[in-house]
Amino acid sequence: MREEINEAVTTLHNRYVRQWKAQGGKVVGYPCSYVPEEIIYAGGLLPFRLRAVEAQSTSIGDTYFGPVICSFPKCILQLAGEGKYGFLDGAIICNGCDSMRRLDECWRKASEDYEGILPAYFAYFAVPHKVEDYSLKWFTGHMRAFKEGIEGHFDVRITDDDLHRAIREYNRGRLFLQKLDELRIADDVPISGAEATAIVIAGTGMPRDIFNDLLEGILEQIGSEKRKIEGKRLLLAGSVIDDVSLIEVIEGAGAVVVADTLCFGSRSYVDLVDETGDPIEALARRYLNHSFCPRMFGYYRDRLRYIAERARRAKVDGVILQNIRFCDLHGSEHGIFERDLEAQGIPCMRMEREYGPLAEEGRIQMRVDAFLERLRG
Amino acid sequence: MRSVLKEYNFDWRFWSILDNACKMFDGTPKEFQHTVPYAPAFRETSEKILGLGEPGLKLVKGTARYMENILKAHERGRKIALITYNCSPAILYALDIVPYCLEGLSAFYASTWKMGISESLDYCCEVGFTETSCSGQRVALGSILAGLSERPDLILCSTPGVCDSNANSFAFASAYLDIPFCQMDYPPTLVDEAANEYQRADFRRMITFLEEQSGNKLEPDKLREICEEMARQDELICEIQELQRLIPSPVPGVYNLLLYDIKVLFSGVPEGTEILEAMLAVAKDNAARGVAGDGEERLRGMFFYIDHYCISMKYWRWLEKNGISHIGTMMTDFWQVDAPYAKGREIEGYTIDTGNMDAMIDSLVGQTSRMPMIKQIRGPYDAPHMWLDDTVGVAKLMKADFLAYMGTMGCRNTWGMVKLIARDLEKLDFPTLILYADSFDNRVEPVDTFLGKIDEFLRVRRIRGWEGARWTG
Repeated sequence: MREEINEAVTTLHNRYVRQWKAQGGKVVGYPCSYVPEEIIYAGGLLPFRLRAVEAQSTSIGDTYFGPVICSFPKCILQLAGEGKYGFLDGAIICNGCDSMRRLDECWRKASEDYEGILPAYFAYFAVPHKVEDYSLKWFTGHMRAFKEGIEGHFDVRITDDDLHRAIREYNRGRLFLQKLDELRIADDVPISGAEATAIVIAGTGMPRDIFNDLLEGILEQIGSEKRKIEGKRLLLAGSVIDDVSLIEVIEGAGAVVVADTLCFGSRSYVDLVDETGDPIEALARRYLNHSFCPRMFGYYRDRLRYIAERARRAKVDGVILQNIRFCDLHGSEHGIFERDLEAQGIPCMRMEREYGPLAEEGRIQMRVDAFLERLRG
Repeated sequence: MRSVLKEYNFDWRFWSILDNACKMFDGTPKEFQHTVPYAPAFRETSEKILGLGEPGLKLVKGTARYMENILKAHERGRKIALITYNCSPAILYALDIVPYCLEGLSAFYASTWKMGISESLDYCCEVGFTETSCSGQRVALGSILAGLSERPDLILCSTPGVCDSNANSFAFASAYLDIPFCQMDYPPTLVDEAANEYQRADFRRMITFLEEQSGNKLEPDKLREICEEMARQDELICEIQELQRLIPSPVPGVYNLLLYDIKVLFSGVPEGTEILEAMLAVAKDNAARGVAGDGEERLRGMFFYIDHYCISMKYWRWLEKNGISHIGTMMTDFWQVDAPYAKGREIEGYTIDTGNMDAMIDSLVGQTSRMPMIKQIRGPYDAPHMWLDDTVGVAKLMKADFLAYMGTMGCRNTWGMVKLIARDLEKLDFPTLILYADSFDNRVEPVDTFLGKIDEFLRVRRIRGWEGARWTG
């Protein structure tokens, strides 16, 4: 693993963020793959996807959130409360799911007790749960207002040209990541799932142009190396994974994760934004049609097709369907995925876990061991 | 699921209980007293409902008809729509589709009998639900997934944008059973033009779906009839809630449950109107005599989310026997423009306009988009027109002595903000209690335990000199 990737994955305030800030740049955090990074980037700001990798407690998170809430937003709030997101000049909360959207109020209210933890720009970005002409219209309007909010607060002007440039840059990165996927699914797997996921995650915490250049070099390097990683081929699906340690545990048991349908994974780059026409409309279309997350209600068949097709293309031996506790959207849908994928001959394992890379390492390892035993026959 | 529970369908069993209860209630008091020992499991619930007199009897009869409609729908050539509790059934009645309200039946099942409730809840998990999913759907949904209930023909869900756990249950049922699904989605704001436009378009899309699925066409005359009935119901509800402001409140506590039962089961149909008329007559009589609806009023409590439905309605009986007037929940905030809490906030209310088809549909849009939860928790709790505004408005109007939160363990949405709203309410001098009971699953925290916590809270906080519960059951 390249050192700069490793640093960006394990450290929030990484070298790229520090450099950006040292040059007077502003950083805007966002928690979900439904937030259009392109608009932030087009405003000359650094989009930074919120993660919880350095959290060592949920004492602050538990103070504001109730007890039966996903620990991922709790850990983000924890880091905010501890001042570890002090480098943010802005944050955007999104209704990706109910636990995540309440980070809005919890963060605001926590800032009444923990001075200075609320970024000066703090906005709420809503995404409809269905794809219709009128939901697209509403979303396009909302996205324009979002752009204007950024322009107003940060005193920048975001032109259509700026947006087109940002869209092209992000599409370029998505195409590189799709190439990375192609490499991963080769018969001779040249890169581990943990390494591949680290690359994707790193991209959410550094300027996209720098990431794209870095990724281009990594792809060349992978292509020229003759690595072959052995193990049962797995697809990893489900709740957010922003730390590769979980994948390392899975792979440590004798598997290799060759594909995923994660939001810090293929979901974020499988579809491109149209580079022609009105850029806001193009962004709204892409993000609204992004129905890979179970937050989009009623699109189960589409998601089943997507996961089954990826599993087949990657020639996986099995699928791990994991969800963070209290993530009912992924967790419940996994129940039907398990039924329907198994019926198609794709072995599945459902696993509920707590957020935190190694919160339950022993149990997870045991579950994965048992699943691999099943796959080995 | 135990094989004994599969002997009879859940919905049939419930209908059968109600049908027999109707016969019991139609007899003399002596006949009733002689019959009760043969159904000990239902004694407390039936006595509680019978104790309400005319409104209780009409509720049971209306609910029996509601169940019969479900059971006989297919043989009568009608379609059954599985719906959320905050999806007004009026539009379904107008299209001659039989509503099957999941949470409404969950509450009825849970409050009526113990046998099979846990099994039905757990069956959902056996087929794939997370055990942390909302229990409000699972009580009744388990029986449908297990094939122990009439199979719905379509699913109509009105909680996307409002409650993930709820919407997820309906989406799950659709995917699991392969039943056509339609969602109504809500933006995080209520009264701006963009939100209105979205809601209007979304509702019309839903009508198209219903017409396609049922093969029926929405007729203006039929819709007008339903809307006029709904308008009459709204008047009655507003009048009852106006009376609820009196000290002592002449409105029996359990009427709150009836108010939202009517809204979710009988909106726009005469059954609902008849119950409301009977309720209003009782409340007016109590008011004229200056007596409390539950006999005595020691305290006024507001349950600012939902109520508790398990185990023979013990929660309702406890409140009544201890002189705590139940003066409302989020579930009783419907936001008719004439509602007492809508005064000065008319922009947030809705009216029924029967002028033409479009006006009627827009009236239903207004009503549906303001149903409990849909209005209050679609956006940040402290944003204008949302949960905090509504809770404070009603608490002040109804002169609440204390507020309590109770929901389900699956409610990510409110558990994500309840500590914050409780803190705000305390700052506004409303003693506020967060309860960890589950409204539909008594195993989470047994009813006696959480009632004890209410009692302790009132004592510790010395609310109106509370000296302890007199009746614990």
